[in-house]
Order: sequence, then C-alpha cells, then structure tokens
Amino acid sequence: MNTSVKTDELMPMTELQISQVREFVDGLATKSQTYWDMVHIGDELSRELHITPELVILYADAVEDYNPWYEGWTMNTWQTEGQSPFGGAIVPPLLVSHFVLSVQFDHTKPFAVGSIHTFHDTEVLEPIPVGARVRILTRATDKYVKRGRRYVRHEVLVTDVASGLLYLREVRDILSL
Amino acid sequence: MTQTLSGRPVHGLITRETPVGHVLVGVKKRATIQLMGSRLWGRFNPNHWDPVYAARTGLKAPIQTGEMSSAYISEMCVNHFGAHYLRQSRVVCKYVASILANEVIETGGQVREKTPKGHGFRFTVDVWAQNEAGEKKTTGWVEVDVGVDADPAAQP
Repeated sequence: MNTSVKTDELMPMTELQISQVREFVDGLATKSQTYWDMVHIGDELSRELHITPELVILYADAVEDYNPWYEGWTMNTWQTEGQSPFGGAIVPPLLVSHFVLSVQFDHTKPFAVGSIHTFHDTEVLEPIPVGARVRILTRATDKYVKRGRRYVRHEVLVTDVASGLLYLREVRDILSL
Repeated sequence: MTQTLSGRPVHGLITRETPVGHVLVGVKKRATIQLMGSRLWGRFNPNHWDPVYAARTGLKAPIQTGEMSSAYISEMCVNHFGAHYLRQSRVVCKYVASILANEVIETGGQVREKTPKGHGFRFTVDVWAQNEAGEKKTTGWVEVDVGVDADPAAQP
C-alpha cells in the first residue's frame, strides 16, 4: 500500500472536508459484503425508474455530452418538450444501462464496495422519451471464475411501464472482490 | 459538411454508401475526478473517486466507472449514425484496462463490415477508447442499421 497518497491529491480540500471523506469511506467499507456473496444465480430484481428531464441532464453533464436532443430541461425555460428526430427530447442511449446497476445491486442491502463493471452487450431497441417511466428487470444468470477472478453475469430488460414497449436488452458482467 | 437532423455539424453521417474501412472521428475527454465522483455514479465505490481507498486496493489512482467510456463511445456513434443509432442497434464494450483519474481519453471507430439488410445495410463498427499513449482502455463493436427501410423519408 502506498501510504503517501493523500485524500486531497486530485482536488483541493480543507482538513474538514478530508475528515468528512475519510469518515464516509470508512463507513462504506464496514457495512458492505462482497457482490459475489450477495448474488445467487436466478435472482430477479426489478425497479421502476422515472426518467425526469433533470435526471437526464445530470447524466449528460457527468459524461459531458451536450447533444440538444437530450434537453428536456434547460436553464431559464426549465422543463421543455425538447426536440429530436423522434419528436420531443430523448434519453441518451446508454443512460438506462447505467441505472441497471441500481437494480442488480439490491438497493435494500448495503452496497458491495470494490466491484467493477467489466463488460456489457447492449441492444438499444427504441428511443426512450424524456419523462418516461421504465421498468428495469435484472436476472442473475451466471457466476464464474476466470483467471482467478470472480464474475457475476446478469441479463437485463428495460420496458416502458405504461405500454410495455421493450426499450433495451443487455447482458453485463461485474467483477467482484 | 453533413449535418444531423438537429442541425449539429459532424464529420459525415454514415450512409448506405459509406465504405468498409471508414474511420469515425471520436470524442476526447479528460477523466476529471469531480465528474468521476458525481452522485450520478453512486459514490458507493470509492475506487472511482478516493485516491486513498484506490491505493489500498492496489490502484495507481481512482478509476473511471466503465459506464463513462461507454457513454463516450455512444456519443461518437450518435455523431456518426444520427437517429439510426437509437433503433435496433447493438453496443458491446469490454473494459480491458482501467481509466485513471486525469487521463485524457479519445474514442475511435472504424467500419469493419456492412451486411445487406432491407434497402440498406447493417454496419458493424469496431470501437475503442484509448489514452494519449495509445493504450486501449475499452474495446468493442457496434451494429447499426442504416437505410434499411423502403422509404427513407419514413426514417427519422
């Protein structure tokens, strides 16, 4: 372990901020278990997500994607219909793929720290309008060890809550500690 | 220069006529620690934003969540395929190496294959994200239908 690494190495912080970060991280580490132990093959989890305009902006800003197709919220006008080739504003194609994480990690249990997403095979089937409510369904299909590392595989379906339209289908792997 | 339907200039939308070997112009981003630590990603895995925790687990620095490089590749695909990319496409990404905080990442792509489908083609494009030293961090491919409908006007 490199003991010379500092909490504020990559961004400026006061001593107070540093102590807040250390307390938060220590809390995460003591409450969680490994993902490998949390998941059993055949586990199915499902949640509904309301994809609000503000959530889309949060995502688009975090990945620095400023395509106007995704703007169902802008400063000054606030919520707006937006414009895209499909009519109103649409959701960035892989946004829901990210939120799968909040389903396959059972949100009612402490999160499994140290897990890493390693692979996804995603079918983007239909554009999702901003404002849609989607259901994300995950099913654990495999747990395997490769080169001494432990992986958990899930299959995912994302559908429209109101119409049942299938928006996205995915297979994804997580490397567990 | 071709424009997307929203009027955004790009370096040439891919059409039925685009040949195998065509190179996509990527997007370039820095792995900024503030964005890596956004609440959007959960903040429950300190490997993504805390240098001390990352060092304890053997990492040289906090690493980006893979979702970020997939999003960069996806942005490149929207720039080149426009609305076609939003229907019946496939995106496969493998995170082959970690993207460390402060690295500059650039995506790339090249048309590997075009398979006749309907009135157009299903394009297969090799995609990747790499750092400034040319080290591949994410690799994969996308498949996108272009011009497969009989009436091009019916397509968005």
